Amino acid sequence: MAPTTRDAWEQAYARAESAVRAAKLDAASDIPALEDVRVRLLGRKGELTELLKSLKDLSLQDKRDLGPKAQELKSRVEAGIELRRSELENLADAASLEKDAIDLTLPALRPPRGHMHPLTGTLRSIARIFQLMGYSWAEGPFVEDDRHNFSALNIAQDHPARDSHDTFYLQDVPLLLRTHTSTVQIRTMESSRPPLRVICPGRVFRHEQIDATHSAVFHQVEGLVVDEGIGFSDLKGHLHTFLQRLLGASIKTRFRPSYFPFTEPSTEVDVKCFFCPGTGCPSCKHTGWIEILGAGVVNPAVFKSVGYDPEKWSGFAFGVGVERVAMLLHGVRDLRDFYTNDLRFLRQFDEDLV
Amino acid sequence: MKISYNWLKEHLPLEISASELAAHLLRLGFEVAGHQRLGPAFTGVVVAKIVSRDKHPNAEKLSVCAVDDGAQIWSVVCGAPNAAAGQTVAFARIGAVLPGNFKIGKAKLRGVESCGMICSRSELGLPKDIDGIWVMGEGPAPGTDVGSLLGPADDVLDVDITSNRPDCLSHRGLARELAAYFRKTLTPISLSLEETLGKTPEVCVEDFQACPYYGARLIEGVTVKDSPPWLKTRLESIGLRPINNVADVTNFILHDTGQPLHAFDADTLSGSRIFVRRSKAGETLLALDHKTYDLPAGLLVISDEKKPVALAGVMGAEDTAVTAATRRVLLEGACFAPGEARRSSQATRLRSDSSYRFERGTDPEAPRAAAGRGAALIVQLAGGNIGKPAQACAPTAGRAPIKTSVSRLNSILGADFTAKEIASCFSEIAAELKVNGEELSFTAPSWRRDLSDANDLAEEAARFLGYDNIPYRMAALAPKTARLTPLETRARRARIQLTALGLCEAYNYDLIAEKTLDSCRLPSAGQPRVANPLSEDWSFLRPSLLPGLLMNARYNLSRGADALRLFEIGKVYAPQGQSVSETWRTAGILLGPVLDARWQPARAPRASFYDAKAAVEALLEKSGNIVWAKLGSATAGRTESDPLFHSTNCLRALINGSPVATVGWLHPRAARAYDLDREGAILFDVNLDWLADRDEPPSHLREFSALPVSRRDLALVVEERLPYAELEGSLRAAAGPDLLDIELFDVYQGKGIDDGYKSLAVRLTFGRSDRTLTDADVAKTVEAIVAALAKEVGARLRA
Repeated sequence: MAPTTRDAWEQAYARAESAVRAAKLDAASDIPALEDVRVRLLGRKGELTELLKSLKDLSLQDKRDLGPKAQELKSRVEAGIELRRSELENLADAASLEKDAIDLTLPALRPPRGHMHPLTGTLRSIARIFQLMGYSWAEGPFVEDDRHNFSALNIAQDHPARDSHDTFYLQDVPLLLRTHTSTVQIRTMESSRPPLRVICPGRVFRHEQIDATHSAVFHQVEGLVVDEGIGFSDLKGHLHTFLQRLLGASIKTRFRPSYFPFTEPSTEVDVKCFFCPGTGCPSCKHTGWIEILGAGVVNPAVFKSVGYDPEKWSGFAFGVGVERVAMLLHGVRDLRDFYTNDLRFLRQFDEDLV
Repeated sequence: MKISYNWLKEHLPLEISASELAAHLLRLGFEVAGHQRLGPAFTGVVVAKIVSRDKHPNAEKLSVCAVDDGAQIWSVVCGAPNAAAGQTVAFARIGAVLPGNFKIGKAKLRGVESCGMICSRSELGLPKDIDGIWVMGEGPAPGTDVGSLLGPADDVLDVDITSNRPDCLSHRGLARELAAYFRKTLTPISLSLEETLGKTPEVCVEDFQACPYYGARLIEGVTVKDSPPWLKTRLESIGLRPINNVADVTNFILHDTGQPLHAFDADTLSGSRIFVRRSKAGETLLALDHKTYDLPAGLLVISDEKKPVALAGVMGAEDTAVTAATRRVLLEGACFAPGEARRSSQATRLRSDSSYRFERGTDPEAPRAAAGRGAALIVQLAGGNIGKPAQACAPTAGRAPIKTSVSRLNSILGADFTAKEIASCFSEIAAELKVNGEELSFTAPSWRRDLSDANDLAEEAARFLGYDNIPYRMAALAPKTARLTPLETRARRARIQLTALGLCEAYNYDLIAEKTLDSCRLPSAGQPRVANPLSEDWSFLRPSLLPGLLMNARYNLSRGADALRLFEIGKVYAPQGQSVSETWRTAGILLGPVLDARWQPARAPRASFYDAKAAVEALLEKSGNIVWAKLGSATAGRTESDPLFHSTNCLRALINGSPVATVGWLHPRAARAYDLDREGAILFDVNLDWLADRDEPPSHLREFSALPVSRRDLALVVEERLPYAELEGSLRAAAGPDLLDIELFDVYQGKGIDDGYKSLAVRLTFGRSDRTLTDADVAKTVEAIVAALAKEVGARLRA
């Protein structure tokens, strides 16, 4: 029975208010229970709905006084239900996410990953520095003749310098496996005119028993610069810059006299050992210095052998051993590791270092 | 070369330590590879006499000796079987310290007290001569300190002399270099040579090119015996074994002056004439190393009137050598051309200190004085009378001066040394130096055969003035654009492509064994090979990269790996007329699970033919359209590594008719040879040179439609033997341009499919760029496809 008097309405309001309290909105255990409450209070026949409807039977003045009060109660109930609904939804989500749990600690699924060989990385690190300094890349055959490997490089047939180039000769043909990449110096000069600035990286062969520090097959990066007015100081500048880029700006270099038939003056370049404070360790053979490069001013005899005018042109040449640098950079102690192709070895490297 | 610092100091008084000397030598270009300190490494050891020797009461192998050290008799237990009464021995008294800081104290050995120790040479840190204790022979009185008998302490440096500096291959030679460097004066050599014997041999030199100087003189009445201690010490300090006073003098002169001498027993020579001539075929030489050498014709020999008595500059004959019985010596001092000594040494594989020096070139003006010193020293040590030398020599041509200028030397060095600086170091080196302002005229001394042009002099200036005093310079070069070769560019791309597919890069040797070729079914006949291999394993230049990769596979599997994806980029070799052709190739091997994901086997299938096919397609994608041909077909052609492949499951990739790549299973015979028969190894082999020779244009964008596409799946049943490629070809032809893509997603045989048939399920994607296709459009096209496939390849839709 709808209240028609203000007193009766206020009693109805009190009842509705207590019904709201009894409904315990914040205790609804799940969404259906909450929906029941909503229907009971705010449904078409719900207590609050009825209360609001019954306002129409009151006087205008009562409507004005009591209407906001009823509206406020309705808003409060609606907000309470919404709050509880979102709480219950969050709880439900949490439960369902929990149920999705997988073992996140299982190992990562790695796609097959390839690795470049450490000698490739080292050779490219070396080559890149020289490329940035304007050196082009040149190649030559591995099977060579005596002229390109020896005589054009001022190493005559009966010269004892051949002793340090134990050579593999081919059967039945007057050919050999090149003992150094200096052959490409000759080939480059035969096929092009100066000025030249090239590196010749590649594989070389020496007739040497293989052990931890000797290999019958190894790699060198040869360099050659020919221009007008090139002197030993340019060699020093270029190689010092190269070694700084390769091994770090704080590296110290030492140029000391040496002998190669195809350069004069000749030098060997050492870097201060970066494994010990100069006191000596196995890496520097207890000398405090690590030998890293051979170099020199191109011997005029070499220019003559390729038809360059030694009065006009001058230049310098150098050679660096790739394996040696790779051993220093990566801490490899046995040269043979580079050629065994053990996956446990190969998988540890894949980088250009510079 | 071993250098005794004491010996060196006889030629040049130096105040610096041996380590400091080593540092200076390095600055001059002579690396010191070793440094050994000589001299007694013990104290408290004296000469003593064994008075008596009795058996030890409690030990079979020990004896008890009474030892007189000059002051007292000691009872000493000794284990050496060679100890005997009457011997003079080295006796370590109580309190002595032996090498290794081994202190001698009173000890009881098997119940008998021992007061000291009788020493062997090795216990004293000396080179061993015989087993057991050191028996010293008569001479030093008991009580003499044994250390004092060994001469003073010395430093021995092992100096690397580069092959251009034979003039430094002796103590005086190196001292001469150091004297110039330190601007000091060499100690003069005093020589009293009295030529009292009135006999002179006759020498005949056939070829003065080969032997610019030959001198020989007689010394009669010598007594050959042991050398005195000072000479033995000199020789022993640099690791030489003393022989007798005559031989030791020739060795001493060699290491003192760098000039080899040879002493013959004159009574063993036939006739009175000495010849320097070429060997004749069939001649032999029994050399001082007790071996007989067959001499090929044409080597330079010294001969008497009958036969060769020395290989010139290398070694003398055993039967003409000086022995204890020798009374008359013929002493040779000569200069042989470097090439002669080297050829003789290489032809006979005989090397000596003498040949080492002649090969590098000796001072042509040295033999006269050196042989004179040798003769005087022999007479001083062995007695006898010296005769005048017979000499044969080429007319000496004066050496032409090197004419250059200060600015030229500075230009070679890129340095700024003054004329004064350069002249002051050159004046120490040159035989004659003329300075005229800028201009230099430098005459090299006879021993500096390495100096012949301005670059040589620039190096001298740099060595003496210091490589450190040459600046660092970067400016002089014109800018240039660096370029890679096409091969290197292509090799880099290949490495990226193959590592992206999960392959690791291998490096194998270029030389392989004949048995490897056999295992791989590759022919060895005609394959380029090395004449002097390190071993049988290194005989042949590889015709293919695959054998190396198979070895790598076996190596890794035997060490626990169960999957392997390797590639190599390298050269292969083939005969080409009188030459050898080299080709860059890239090859690979795949076997085992693809992923490192054993716990999800469904995602880690084993590598198959189709994985390797993907690698080849990736490498070839920009080089043109691939046409696949079965190995053995006429179009496939032949390549070197074909025998390694399974002849059925192997395809050749052809581009414009050229065989560019091969991909396939490993041949079962090779698989067995490499223990890979259950592993299912897949190989590929690509001609990288071919790829590098062709331009790879940059990728060019193909427009794609923004409009939606339609997809249809078809399951088609065809005969089992129908290659998929035929079905795809017919399908594409029937579908026309609206078919954008075709993707095979299932190949099925089994329940629901008749025997002899298979079901191929493809997903077709249709679309156009000008309008959206309607269902009716697509249905019409699919209908046409199904009809065409039924007609052309007998396909029907799967029920």
